[in-house]
Amino acid sequence: MPKYEPILLKNMLQPGYTGSLAEYERAGGYQAIRKVLGKVSPADVTAVVMKSGLRGRGGAGFPTGVKWGFLPKDYQGPRYLCCNADESEPGTFKDRQLIERDPHQLLEGMLLACYAIGAASSYIYIRGEFVLGAKILEQAINEARAAGYVGKNIFGSNTTIDIWVHRGAGAYICGEETALLESLEGKRGLPRVKPPFPATHGLYNKPTVVNNVETLANLPHILNRGAEWFASIGSPPKSTGTRVFCVSGHVARPGNYEVPMGITFRELIYEQAGGMRSDKKLKAFIPGGASAPFLTPDHLDVKLDFESVALAGSMLGSGGVTVMEEGTDMVWAALRLMEFFYHESCGKCSPCREGSSWLVQIMRRIVNKRGQLADLETLTDLCKNIAGRTVCAFGDAEVSPILSTLKHWRHEYVAMIHAAEAANLIRPEPVGAKQ
Amino acid sequence: MPDQKPETVRLTIDGTTVAVPKGTLVIEAARRVGVMIPHFCYHPKLKPDANCRMCLVEVEKMPKLQTACSTPVAEGMAVRTATTTVDDAHKSVLEFILANHPLDCPVCDQGGKCDLQDFSHQYTPTTSRFTETKRIFQKEYFSPLIETQMNRCVQCLRCVRYCDEIMDVKALAPVGRGTMTEIKHFGPHELDCEFCGGCIQICPVGAITSRLSMYEYRPWMLKRADTICTFCGDGCRITVQTKGNELIEVNSAHGAGRNNGDLCARGFFGFHASSDADRLTHPLIRREGKLVEATWEDALEYVAEQALRLKLAHSADAFGGLITSRCTNEDLYVFQKFMRQVIGTNRIDSSARYGHLNGVQALRRVQGTHRWTIAFEDIVAANALLLVGTNITETSPITGLKVKEAVKKRQASLVTMEALQPAIDTLSNITNLALQHFPTHPAQFGNTVLGLTKAVIEGNLVDATLAQQAPAFVQRLTSALQGISWENLEAVTGQTRTQWTETAKILAGANRLVILVGNGVLRHPGGDATVTNLLDLLILLGKLDKPGCGLGPLAEENNDQGAVEMGAVAEFFPGPAPLDDQPVRDRIATVWREELPRTPGASLTEMLAAANKGSLKALFVVGENPVGTLPAEAQAAEALGKLDLLVCQELFLTETAAMAHVVLPACSYMEKDGTFTNSEGHVQGVRQAINPVGDSRPDWEMFSALSVLMGSPLEYGDAREILKEIRTVIPGYGLLGPTPTPPKVDQAVLSGYLTQGFAGDAATRYAVSQPRQTGDGSFTLMFVQTLFHSGKLSTHSKGLLQLQQEGFLSINPEDAARLDLADGGQVKVSNSRGAITTTVKIRERVPAGLLWFPEHFDGEAKQLAEWTIDPRTQIPYFKLAHVSLAKVS
Repeated sequence: MPKYEPILLKNMLQPGYTGSLAEYERAGGYQAIRKVLGKVSPADVTAVVMKSGLRGRGGAGFPTGVKWGFLPKDYQGPRYLCCNADESEPGTFKDRQLIERDPHQLLEGMLLACYAIGAASSYIYIRGEFVLGAKILEQAINEARAAGYVGKNIFGSNTTIDIWVHRGAGAYICGEETALLESLEGKRGLPRVKPPFPATHGLYNKPTVVNNVETLANLPHILNRGAEWFASIGSPPKSTGTRVFCVSGHVARPGNYEVPMGITFRELIYEQAGGMRSDKKLKAFIPGGASAPFLTPDHLDVKLDFESVALAGSMLGSGGVTVMEEGTDMVWAALRLMEFFYHESCGKCSPCREGSSWLVQIMRRIVNKRGQLADLETLTDLCKNIAGRTVCAFGDAEVSPILSTLKHWRHEYVAMIHAAEAANLIRPEPVGAKQ
Repeated sequence: MPDQKPETVRLTIDGTTVAVPKGTLVIEAARRVGVMIPHFCYHPKLKPDANCRMCLVEVEKMPKLQTACSTPVAEGMAVRTATTTVDDAHKSVLEFILANHPLDCPVCDQGGKCDLQDFSHQYTPTTSRFTETKRIFQKEYFSPLIETQMNRCVQCLRCVRYCDEIMDVKALAPVGRGTMTEIKHFGPHELDCEFCGGCIQICPVGAITSRLSMYEYRPWMLKRADTICTFCGDGCRITVQTKGNELIEVNSAHGAGRNNGDLCARGFFGFHASSDADRLTHPLIRREGKLVEATWEDALEYVAEQALRLKLAHSADAFGGLITSRCTNEDLYVFQKFMRQVIGTNRIDSSARYGHLNGVQALRRVQGTHRWTIAFEDIVAANALLLVGTNITETSPITGLKVKEAVKKRQASLVTMEALQPAIDTLSNITNLALQHFPTHPAQFGNTVLGLTKAVIEGNLVDATLAQQAPAFVQRLTSALQGISWENLEAVTGQTRTQWTETAKILAGANRLVILVGNGVLRHPGGDATVTNLLDLLILLGKLDKPGCGLGPLAEENNDQGAVEMGAVAEFFPGPAPLDDQPVRDRIATVWREELPRTPGASLTEMLAAANKGSLKALFVVGENPVGTLPAEAQAAEALGKLDLLVCQELFLTETAAMAHVVLPACSYMEKDGTFTNSEGHVQGVRQAINPVGDSRPDWEMFSALSVLMGSPLEYGDAREILKEIRTVIPGYGLLGPTPTPPKVDQAVLSGYLTQGFAGDAATRYAVSQPRQTGDGSFTLMFVQTLFHSGKLSTHSKGLLQLQQEGFLSINPEDAARLDLADGGQVKVSNSRGAITTTVKIRERVPAGLLWFPEHFDGEAKQLAEWTIDPRTQIPYFKLAHVSLAKVS
């Protein structure tokens, strides 16, 4: 018996649960939408969500109800809901499980969101690599459509809500909401300049809400059990509800753990995930996906809520907790993440485009024992010049591995450079920029 | 033209307060106070993309630096552009951009006019911290006219955005991700697009440059002349750059001219026509049947002597004159003055006869103006646009851009009627942007417009006050159109009643409605009637004299409008004023100090007929080539062969010039001063860019010299003096500002038209015209203008010849499949007039049943054309033929 009551993972934790429409309904599914449709006004649905304190689970943690409230009230044309299922953040794999194991929970959440914002069409933008997930969603949508839950006049009401699955083509940046919209429109997935925000000028320039899978999956439960119930879970008032944390790395039991926000990293790693995989001690962990700066054992008692992690100098982000044990080469770890960001930089903004390739080349040199002490200053400088100077948050994200490892483990960089000097290999070695 | 004043916002830029319209971007507000914020990706024409991050500035109360190019001003905003933080940001962004830049300025054509070079000098140290390996792109062959050097690219995407947002061509795209982002075109072949040169002009660095001037110059070596393009009626401002007397490059500065810096392939790549090796450099006199070189003195004396002899032996009306509308107003004016005063005849004509007069005559008849009552600004500001018979992208590309801007940026509703099929292609296609498109057979424009007028009347969309003011007009049209059944109209045109009804609603609902009429109407039988009917449509909708509404015939040649206004046509004195307009006749006589001839004028076709009959003895031909242009049925060669004196003033030895007794080498537009009047009636200055080629002279100079030799001197020191005289004859001519003030509808003429003027031919204009039965094949062959050429001048341009150098037959894919024709294969095109064999090009934009052949390469092909003459405007129509096709294996 788990210590905390699972909400999102409840159904799939039942042995033999396949996620079919029948089983979802047997477990109490599609009750929230029935309860709401035509009986509660869309504005009241938004009010409930606002009151529940639900915040976006994709990374930025923006209050969901507030986001919905930004849609223009008097706009007559179409509005859209987009479900962001482009889960590409390294170390994050919660949406995948929510999609593959309980697709109807997501669909019901989308129906509720569409109802609240007045959208007749909604799209699930799913990461291209999630072939299985896309198939399962298509199947689930077909089931729901056959049952009259999706499409014209759902549940016999006069409301029309359609859901379409759109597969991405393998770009991390398309998880950024405006790049997602561009890609969904059939264009090159590059982030848009904001403002205007999607709430007013989103998909096809129409008012649009983009919500994460986990965010949407919470909606049926909030509508079923009430805003007060949801707001009482976790670390109220600012971080309510549970979160599915994806624990990976050098732990005994990697996996998804749904726990109330506000428990400590120590509890998540040592109690939920079974502690370290060997007798080596914990050296470092990333608290919220690759974009979040590294934390150290000193931060193990930080609470898993948005504010506490921010205070500790990192972010709760997407909930991907990657744990590293003693002996992990932190410079190499930073390079590995930098390689990822270099590969995924979309190339729109000069600092990020050129900076990521420059940073990765310096990091490769250092790891290949051809670094110089001056490189560390250059690294810091370049990182500072990228962060905050790009269209989207990618620029801030890509510098976090280097900046945080330089902050906590600068001595490892220095040692590596001294070793290079000792080996008399300090001349920069050309590193091909071609991938 | 904006209707109301926009709200203003006050902000401070580096402490200076400035008030700008709401919605202005910070970068533009800064420019107003003289603060230049460095940028690469920003361009006033394009939607902000904020990708280069060069324009970061501090905005008070905002935590992060903001991009000035994408931040709109706000009341009380305080912007700082010169702080250490901002300076550091500029330096750092430049450091990033330069990291992978090859720094090959010494061999880069952009050197000296490169933004990256300038900003680097301004902001960065001369050494770089970048010691890693630079990213290198494989050099790829791009196109014969455009050179790309992607290692220099700063990925600002201005080229890609221009190609999409402004041109609607979408030929370019960024390919790859991150540092490997490279600008490419699509497909495994060289670039195939409109070749507007926009990407070259808008590239801030040396990544995209022109191959026509590759490695030829540094910007500071060049001399510049601002002049007007000669290739169509749009009247684009171009800057001709020369080194010594050599033409190096043509471009157009953003904000300059009616084109706002945009050009088309002809404007950007066509300039070499003037320096073509085939240019005539010396006068030629026919001696013993052969044209031999002569001195100017000999040639002019010969002409003067012969002319005087013929005038004495016959009469002044034994002379005729024909001039091209490519000439300047000054040339045209002196030409007609020479013919009317020195010779004493009204038998003159110009190439405005080929179609533009249809538009002018209809405008004069209905609204009493000879010009548009609208300007390009009204096209951009229109709520609804109706394009009739114009493949505007190919014929008037820059007017086309105004239409695109109205539709794409300002969401105007576009209705098109043209023998064109919407299709994605290498060229943009205006029908792709249309809300309603009527695919119209070239012989069916009149009937399709009738359907629209019928829909307006039957949909009760007629202006309420009109029915009271002009009951006779409304009743006459109503009864005529009620007499035509929808079934009949649908059957002949292939359109549907629903579409007419929908379109009528769109047009009626628009506050600002602009109708543009192109060659499809103006140069085809019934052109005059169709333009008049379109004006009737505007009247019925109550929009003829509403601000922002009006009809504009699109001139084909750069100075068609000027030719009419200078009186270089059979029916008009300068003004234009009809020959029987006594006050004008008196005014001109005072200026000329001589009585004007009273005999009637003769149009081109009438002169040819007279020559054939033997009553016309001498013909002055300026830049026109009837033998090469007209089909055999016009009998131009026979007619000219009978003349006692044929004098040609030409750039090249054309078919007509080859028959002449004397050929005089003329200057092209690059070599003379003067003015051109564009489609919308804007008079613009033409400035000399190079010295005359060989011994060539401006056309007016030759007439001036001849007049001296013939004893009635017309002496002018330069083109300005001529313009001065023009202004005494036509008060205020060419005194317009940078934006023309279009004339207003003449209410007296309009009310005359509404009470009586319309009635004379109402019965014929409001009847379904039945397609002509020719007994020839089932295909309709159209001789069309193409984007890459513009008459016989452009076919001497080496740049344009690389894009298109011969005629080919464009055919719809379905027709091609039916006849088993393959792209690039040979086909025999024939009718009762003759047969030709040509190459097939399959294009989706050609409607089924139609064939296109570029008129600039029509040599053999034109013999197939049918020849008819408009009874009212004397316009010869020869752009259509009915033919059969057979595959040649």
